[in-house]
Amino acid sequence: MKAIWNKTCLAVVASAAIGISASAQAADDCPLPGNLRVVIGSTSTGGDTYQNSSIVVDRLADKLDINAKVDAVGVMPGFQALERSRHGNTVMIFHDGAYLGNLYGVNGYPDIFSKFIVGPTIAINPGNAYLVPKDSPYQSMSDIIEAAGDGKQIKVAIQPGSVSEIGFSALKNAVRMKYPGKEGNIVAVNTGSQADKNQLLFDGAVDVINGSVQANEQYTQLPADDQKAMRFVWITAREKTIAETDEAGMGDTTREQLLQYVTPNVSVPMAADQDFTFDKEFFFLYNKDMDPAAIECIDDALAEIYDEGEIQQQQKRSFFVPDFKPSQEAASYLEEKNDQYKTIISDLNG
Amino acid sequence: MDILSHLTPMFFALIAAGTSIGIIFGAIPGMTATMAVAVCLPLTYAFGLENGIALLLGLYVGGISGGMVPAVLINIPGTPSSITTTFDGYPMAKRGEGERALKIGIVASVFGGLFSAAVLFFFAPVLADFAIKFSYVEKFLIILLALTVIASLCSNMLMGVFSGVLGVWLSLIGTYSITEGGNGEPRLMFDFMQYYLIDGFSLLPVLIGIFGLTTVLLDAEKGFKDETGQGPISLKGGAKFRFSVFKGQLLNLVRSSSIGTFVGILPGVGGSAASVLAYSQEKNFSRDSSQMGKGAPQGIVSSESSNNALTGGALVPLLSLGIPGDSTTAILIGAFTLQGIQVGPLFIGNNLDTWYLMIIALLAANVLMFGIMYFAIRHIARVIEVPKYILYPLIIMMCVVGAYAINYGIMFDVWTLLIFGVFGWVAHKIGLETVPLIIGFILGKSAEVYFVKSLESYGNYSIFFTKSPIAMFLWVLIAVSLAFAIYLRVRNRRQASVES
Repeated sequence: MKAIWNKTCLAVVASAAIGISASAQAADDCPLPGNLRVVIGSTSTGGDTYQNSSIVVDRLADKLDINAKVDAVGVMPGFQALERSRHGNTVMIFHDGAYLGNLYGVNGYPDIFSKFIVGPTIAINPGNAYLVPKDSPYQSMSDIIEAAGDGKQIKVAIQPGSVSEIGFSALKNAVRMKYPGKEGNIVAVNTGSQADKNQLLFDGAVDVINGSVQANEQYTQLPADDQKAMRFVWITAREKTIAETDEAGMGDTTREQLLQYVTPNVSVPMAADQDFTFDKEFFFLYNKDMDPAAIECIDDALAEIYDEGEIQQQQKRSFFVPDFKPSQEAASYLEEKNDQYKTIISDLNG
Repeated sequence: MDILSHLTPMFFALIAAGTSIGIIFGAIPGMTATMAVAVCLPLTYAFGLENGIALLLGLYVGGISGGMVPAVLINIPGTPSSITTTFDGYPMAKRGEGERALKIGIVASVFGGLFSAAVLFFFAPVLADFAIKFSYVEKFLIILLALTVIASLCSNMLMGVFSGVLGVWLSLIGTYSITEGGNGEPRLMFDFMQYYLIDGFSLLPVLIGIFGLTTVLLDAEKGFKDETGQGPISLKGGAKFRFSVFKGQLLNLVRSSSIGTFVGILPGVGGSAASVLAYSQEKNFSRDSSQMGKGAPQGIVSSESSNNALTGGALVPLLSLGIPGDSTTAILIGAFTLQGIQVGPLFIGNNLDTWYLMIIALLAANVLMFGIMYFAIRHIARVIEVPKYILYPLIIMMCVVGAYAINYGIMFDVWTLLIFGVFGWVAHKIGLETVPLIIGFILGKSAEVYFVKSLESYGNYSIFFTKSPIAMFLWVLIAVSLAFAIYLRVRNRRQASVES
């Protein structure tokens, strides 16, 4: 009995040793640990951040021959996990909300450009949109801007401090530019989930809601006498971003129809000769002390994955626009984006 | 019909596998149906939509049902929605009726599950249209109605209400999150606590701390040696399970299942509110509720039928509006989007085959859950015969693992478990009532969000009374519920004094 026990123990120890060495060897040509934890800035496993991250991380794990797992821990635990991970065991995937939270002064959002290393961008969710009830008197964003200029209060349901608010700020800024002093007529009704924003529209408690093409398109297909029927008035993505989506568009709304709701067909001025646009982009974040060789390794692996071309098909099927930029390019691009929105927000704050 | 081609042995095997795995997840304290579905979500890539949905719905039904097992046998709710199952399940287990209590729970669960599946099938679009009549104001009043259960459950009114308020206070620690439309500012804590408490205390670690760890500490204080009389609870003795126990319970079953289905339809209100509401309504309106809380089958019936009825209810807004009814159905949206299927008000019409398959999967999952649990429960219930000095270390280990895993590896959740375990022990010593406290904790955050958002959206306090006929009706229910609780308390006190 004792002999069997000893042999069993030996077998267990040997298997563990083999497992550990195999795990360490897996990433030999790349200074990444064999097990990579990818935290995301969302607690939802049904949302776009998780969906997008899992598409990319699965392929990255295959390419690097490592184990990688996406953990939907949320913003603060995500930043905290990243801060603790000096050896690159944990990386983060998040979207523009990572720096917008800081610009809006939300508690706990650091300046990601100084506190972390900004990694590669991977995709755009082109669906950030604004909607009104189907029987709304406002046919376009221009109508809304004019109404605010005329002294009418326009209530907009948003989730504060992130992607949802930036379009609201742009609208307010547009009113400020055209009708200085009237921007106070654009009023935010701060709320949470998409369901809450929809509900406020159903209740008639707001005039406009922030939504998305993915979540709200079917509501735009309902007959006008349905209490739930909505209409797009603005999609914040750039024209070229929407042009890269599938021709079929989303649901019963074709790409051509979606293009009617983006600039230049819809104008929300940001400067005298420039309309505001916003692409919700997803990117990696690394600990400040992450080994540059590991960052390069992820960049190279992603470059290969995107060169192969299959991931683009998968992303497009889920209404994402593939958008790979290696770390350095992504960092300077996102910092520029950050500075652009910083100007709008600080102008509004006076 | 295309649909028949999807009804393969694989389809049903995946429902069975999902249900079994879900039961295991539900039965382990700290593991939930949501976690089971989240863990298996990536598998839907491999299985395709139909088979993937079969697996996920099996996990959902199994996960909700499995929560009753530790609730009855060891007084730890496996999932938050089985909290009310502990009130009567554990007292029954203590008098040797663990198997009976579990079988009552299983039958009630399958009734609730099938009831809600039928409601989903026949009335989904109509109910979704009705659900959108419930704004922040009405949802706040539903939470308030659920909170009135505190008046029914506490043994000392003043201490019970105080404990409930303390629970609400504890739930508000952290930030008023921007993801709920708040300002993101921390409150009710010192600066040095912000690192840990910025998202507040997580529900599951608090729940299993107060129910699980506190029980272990209280028993440890007494000592576990067999000779002290603290040996294992016997399965023998006590009444045997007979289906006749459901005689006179039809109203309870239908009312509780309706409450569960209805609460499921309202996005964000949550499963715990469903079982708490159903339990309080049975307590207030049944002919004889004097034994509730002491091991009455009717308590298990109301709790389990309502929490399983939530499954079909929560699918109503998902499939009719594209809005998840609870955290688990939020993950199901992920399964659809991963397959490139859009959910929204046109989902059913655009995806009739998928819709029928979901209904079949839901029915099959409930029937399989009944088959698996009813016949396996005799063996599962034997866990109660394991001596506590062996069982309790295992429970603590499972609680710690569950607390660590619930938010994907947050160590502070383990500390939360331990803190609330000790807090529960202290509460017991100083006479605080833990059940009202935990109900206050579960419902407090939603109450705050709906209250503040009602005021932000409509601007004045009178809106709570004048918003709609539904709001007025809910006020009537709140008043009646409170009046009944007070009436019952006075009547019981009089009876007690007459008897003495």
